Amino acid sequence: MIKTVYSLLAVFLFSCGDKKQDTSSESGRKSDTTIVNTQAANPYAVIDISPMDMSYFPVNYSQRKMTRDISTPPVMRVIYSRPHKQGRDIFGNLLKYGEPWRLGANEASEIEFFQNVTIQSKKVNAGRYIIYCIPYKDKWTMILNNDIYTWGLKIDSTKDLMKFDIPVKKAPVNFEYFTMVFQPISNGAELVMAWDDTEARLPIIF
Amino acid sequence: MIPVLFCEAQTNNLPPLDKSPMDMSYYPTNYPVLKIQDKATEPVLARVIYSRPQKNGRIIFGDLVEYGKVWRMGANEATEIEFYENIKIDGKKVAKGRYTLYAIPLQDNWTIILNKDVDTWGAFKYDVQKDVLRTTVPVQMLNEAVEALAMNFEKADNGCNLIIAWDNVKIVLPINIK
Repeated sequence: MIKTVYSLLAVFLFSCGDKKQDTSSESGRKSDTTIVNTQAANPYAVIDISPMDMSYFPVNYSQRKMTRDISTPPVMRVIYSRPHKQGRDIFGNLLKYGEPWRLGANEASEIEFFQNVTIQSKKVNAGRYIIYCIPYKDKWTMILNNDIYTWGLKIDSTKDLMKFDIPVKKAPVNFEYFTMVFQPISNGAELVMAWDDTEARLPIIF
Repeated sequence: MIPVLFCEAQTNNLPPLDKSPMDMSYYPTNYPVLKIQDKATEPVLARVIYSRPQKNGRIIFGDLVEYGKVWRMGANEATEIEFYENIKIDGKKVAKGRYTLYAIPLQDNWTIILNKDVDTWGAFKYDVQKDVLRTTVPVQMLNEAVEALAMNFEKADNGCNLIIAWDNVKIVLPINIK
């Protein structure tokens, strides 16, 4: 119980700090690496307000590998940071239509294919890519880019490799935290991206 | 408490925010930021991806993390370290690539383990057969407790050091490029 209280307290404190953070992002500052949480001394690496997360396909690959439920290699994984809505309108407001968005926060989001895959009939070689998007009201342009290990605010578009337009739809619930996860389909998996009231799906065939 | 309600609101079948959030550190330190500022003076050498459990008032080493047992050095997914060129640790060659990083903490020293079983969870199915390297480093005591497990790299004479700190303990793993 004490643990739970601490966890809730931590979430609350971090959330409070986030408002300042988002203000600075909106004003175009690049100093969004880390926010000092004065409640928790840490001279080495402070906790990010928009924490990083990782999703694999097959879903929950690492847990399933641990339980020996799966023995084949993973197909792909995405590493991204999870900004939260904090009461703001996200699409068409915080994120401007027609402008590139890093699909997360902090470091540029990274997708890695451990085998060759196909997206919208184009072959994508196994390897590591930056993934970002240009959101519009009715569609997102998804972009795979070769400028890996970079920060999301300045992705070098001369290193764009492929672009894919996908439709957007209303999300089934309102998503406080930006979420990327894979869900299986008959011939592959969809990369599901959801935030606020919006959801988009990129089918990946393998 | 409104933010807490927000957290709990994400109760569909998509993942909620982790309690021990993931983080990533590069060498050169802050490489992605340096890169977009055109300030990167050397190529990317290493990065670590780990989750960050918090002390939350607990005694960590010798208690929550037991001495003498393999520890995943994080939470959730096993901690991953990647080298972008061949390096040496403790005089032993390590080929570039991805590895899982474990530790066996003792009161005075930690054994650091590089293992080739990547994309796994925790240390629950740790397989000594897949070890690539083991090395022992001394424990340094800190005056001020570190709340969340922290890992970062710092420049060193012949490469960099991986710093690992939590609670009142810090260890330094030298990573050499020659």
